[in-house]
Amino acid sequence: MIDSLILQQGSDWRAQAEVFDEIFFVFLALGTLVGTIVVSYTLWNVYKYRDDGSEPKDSFDAPVVGELPTGQGGPKAKKLFLSFGLSAIVVISLVVYAYGLLLYVEEGPETDEEGDIEILVEGYQFGWEYEYPNGHTETGEMIVPADQRIDIQVTSRDVWHNFGSSELRIKSDAIPGDTNSNWFSVSSEEVEAQGGEATFLVECFELCGSGHSAMKGQITVIPEDEWEEWYEDTEGESNSSRIDAPAPGGVSA
Amino acid sequence: MSELPPTTSVKRWLVTTNHKDIGILYTITALFFLLFGGVLALLIRVQLWDPASQVLSGLAYNEAVTAHGLIMVFWFLSPFGFGFANYFVPLQIGADDLAFPRLNALSYWMYLFSGVLLGISFFQGGTLSAGWTMYAPLNVPMYTPSIGSTGAVLALFMFVVGVTASTVNFLTSIHHSRAEGMGIMDMPMFTWSMLATVWMMLFAFAALLAVGLILAADRVLGSVYFSATEGGSLLWGHLFWFFGHPEVYIVFFPALGVMLELFQTFSGRRLVGRKWVIISICLISVQSFLVWMHHMFLTTINLEIKTLMMATTIGISLPFDLLVFSLIYTLIKGRIQFTTPFLFAFGALLLFIVGGITGVFLGAIVLDYEFRGTYWVVAHFHYVMFGGATALFGGAYYWFPKMTGKMYDEFLGKVHFVLFFLGFNAVYFSMFLAWETPRRVFEYNPAFQSMHQVGTVGAFVLGFSFFIMFYNFAKSYVSGPEAGDNPWDYSRTAEWAVSSPPPLENWPNRPSYASGKLEFVKDYVPDGGPAVKADENGNAATDGGDSHADHIRSYPYWDKHPSHASIWPFALSLATGIMLLGLSGFNDAIEFTIGETLATTSVTVANPVYLVLTVLGLLALIWTGVKWGLEDFYAPPSEFGERWPFEGVEKVKLGMWFFLASDVIVFGAFISAAVFIRYNAGWMTWEPLTESLPGLINTFVLLTSSFTVILALVAAHRNSRQGLLASLGTTILLGFTFLGIKMWEWHHEVFDRGVTLSQNAHGEPIQASVYYVTTGLHGVHVVGGLLIAMFLFYRAYQGHYLDDERPIEYFGLYWHFVDIVWVFIFPLFYLF
Repeated sequence: MIDSLILQQGSDWRAQAEVFDEIFFVFLALGTLVGTIVVSYTLWNVYKYRDDGSEPKDSFDAPVVGELPTGQGGPKAKKLFLSFGLSAIVVISLVVYAYGLLLYVEEGPETDEEGDIEILVEGYQFGWEYEYPNGHTETGEMIVPADQRIDIQVTSRDVWHNFGSSELRIKSDAIPGDTNSNWFSVSSEEVEAQGGEATFLVECFELCGSGHSAMKGQITVIPEDEWEEWYEDTEGESNSSRIDAPAPGGVSA
Repeated sequence: MSELPPTTSVKRWLVTTNHKDIGILYTITALFFLLFGGVLALLIRVQLWDPASQVLSGLAYNEAVTAHGLIMVFWFLSPFGFGFANYFVPLQIGADDLAFPRLNALSYWMYLFSGVLLGISFFQGGTLSAGWTMYAPLNVPMYTPSIGSTGAVLALFMFVVGVTASTVNFLTSIHHSRAEGMGIMDMPMFTWSMLATVWMMLFAFAALLAVGLILAADRVLGSVYFSATEGGSLLWGHLFWFFGHPEVYIVFFPALGVMLELFQTFSGRRLVGRKWVIISICLISVQSFLVWMHHMFLTTINLEIKTLMMATTIGISLPFDLLVFSLIYTLIKGRIQFTTPFLFAFGALLLFIVGGITGVFLGAIVLDYEFRGTYWVVAHFHYVMFGGATALFGGAYYWFPKMTGKMYDEFLGKVHFVLFFLGFNAVYFSMFLAWETPRRVFEYNPAFQSMHQVGTVGAFVLGFSFFIMFYNFAKSYVSGPEAGDNPWDYSRTAEWAVSSPPPLENWPNRPSYASGKLEFVKDYVPDGGPAVKADENGNAATDGGDSHADHIRSYPYWDKHPSHASIWPFALSLATGIMLLGLSGFNDAIEFTIGETLATTSVTVANPVYLVLTVLGLLALIWTGVKWGLEDFYAPPSEFGERWPFEGVEKVKLGMWFFLASDVIVFGAFISAAVFIRYNAGWMTWEPLTESLPGLINTFVLLTSSFTVILALVAAHRNSRQGLLASLGTTILLGFTFLGIKMWEWHHEVFDRGVTLSQNAHGEPIQASVYYVTTGLHGVHVVGGLLIAMFLFYRAYQGHYLDDERPIEYFGLYWHFVDIVWVFIFPLFYLF
């Protein structure tokens, strides 16, 4: 936990995927622990206090039909508040911890002077279109450089979509008439590891019509110099799509 | 009034207004919808067996997903809980019936026929395919053009109308009809849970009613709310989730109530920290309205508001922690009996713990960013909502002996539980493991195939387990052993104090808890006067003229026999169903071409069937409404009930107040929608589309009519028939004047200024839609009020209301409310 806070302060930045994986791990570990303790404790007590047909103890005060309901107080009530307090502490500290990282995810890392690459993402039934700062548009595949913070502005031209890549752990609602910001970044090591070109699947995470299941796209990350070269060539032209993307409005059901 | 036929007659089930009969009808109908929704779920699971296979087309898959969600949430979960609530809340509080028995029957028939409409929508070119969350603008005809889509929306609307009636009924019953000595903190936990449920429903379903009305206007009349880029999509999100989050607790609380009862009954221990459990339930009910934006963390809502919503979301998990621990600690040192009902209730607790912990994950915004739209969400809410419903099946086994008089088969019940529990976890836990799959997608990553196949197998096991339950119940009903009045060792609540099944009017004598426990007291009924309350020794108290008796004496029909049968709830619902079926095709069947003037405006009817259905349904609706009003139906008020905190309020008036409270939310949602859209469009860019003078005149007309209603009440009080007729007549005339000016205004705007529902010569089309739909809703309220006023006028002419002026008074409440709404609408559309 402390590591993550230090990391935030330092010059090094962390991809959203890393942040997510850390929080997910912490939640999963604590959730499993708490769940296991509570469920085992309950099962054990249910077994222990089963009705085995023996004579009830004297202290057992059986309820009768028609009594006005009363509660049980005493030591159990004390225990109730103790467990309640403990669970409240666990839940609240989890959220405070996660909140620190939320601020980081919302802000994004510091970037260098040259500025970020801002890409407009527009969802449509059933595909994605990307518009670069120079006016160039791509359909289906977003080509971006490694080691750069990529800012995306997500919107929709028809219905409500959701632009998301599970591997990059990014997701944004694409709402008609509204623009949503997000960012991601892929390191050159990752691109190297994938053989000079890293690809990430893009899916639609909001039901948007009959072609929703097949509404896929791709984010392709290439080394910065290669990207610069490609980007120079795009000036003025559009739709030089490198993969087969569904046509606008096309139903691939 | 007609006599109630025997249970073997079909007619009995059409005319009954008895809460126990209606409870049975609800339960059986809900189980039918469980099968309906379940079959759709199995279709989904079959499609998911193989990431490449296509049993259903993309559109058909979306329809199955949508209908499955709608049916399970609306037509199964809530009505199943309400089946038990109908049957057992009156018994638990010591009432003879619900406060308004005919209204209760109406709720049921609205529910049934709305389900029929939904079924029909499959055959009207395909039902809605926009998901049960119906996100805008996929929910408008441009993207979901089938008539069936409109049919499904109208079915939901009709369902909500029934729910509203039911909510008013339960609130009035629980606050008005509790037996003597049962204070609000003394109510059994199931009743407490239901009280919290209906309070949430009163406000949440009003928001759904509003958003459903707006959507219906978009789909049937052609307004452009949800396709507007001026915030139309987000407007849907906000209004839907303002309803949608409380809805989670609305479907969960009845199940929670069953758990709270069953944990006590099958351990022989009383609830730990009972007072704090009740406080938690109340807190959750209030907090449920403050968390809705956590469903919208990925929209463009700003960080501050998201943070606030994160805090409230975590806040709402805390009272749930207390509830869970209280349930667990209640069992300790008990004598736990592993009967089928307890197994289901206990299983529900375990499932709910899993659902609760995975919900905390979703409360952390960073995690929610990734979980949004994935199977993590699907798995989580099935663990919470269906996990909760597990307890309702426990309730079905628990109360089966009371409802039928027969005992179910314990062995088959346990087999059902084992298969259910295994199947449940196979289908929903596998979803956690395959969580990266996007929701409502069938072409998924093949890496998750084996997990999805485990889920499909689990779903079939789960589905099959219910046939064991159906067989068990059917066989036990026919040939099971007699259950006796109280088959459980440690039951406490009053339903176990009467025979199985209980008699028509529930009690041998008046139930009372005045001595601290349930007793049946015999009141002294003198000739020509209301009952006199018996004192503790069973003797008639001499000071019988206390406030209670006065309260009863104000009823001129105090000595009449209570009614239990009416055909009009059924008929009115059928008429509504026919009208809505007609309206579903209205937009496709009829085309208006607006010309230069009204005379050149033409109407083309492409399909007369839908038009005929609409008109027939509307006429039948008015006719059945009049017959309802004329019927001599007597539902006695509870005589010596506990009424905190509404001691001084008469029964029907209390119901009226509850109804108006929900209507406040309906108009509140409409006005909020208008403000939200205008804010998004740029507040100052809109000029009023109307001229202020006619609006000002109308304001005076309406306010004057409020005054004449008061005069009518005074005249009735003074036994002046002529005064009553004159002032009521003036009110009606003023109402028609208002509508006349309104029609002139609309005519002027359409033909002189070029402003129609979807076109606006002076600005954005959405501005025109907002204006017509909001003032139109108010206009519909005026028309409804006028219909009632004319009915009252006719009855007053016949000489009614002089000895009992309450109908005039309650109509007056409604009419004042409609006038007050206008005071809010007027500046919004005429001045600024």
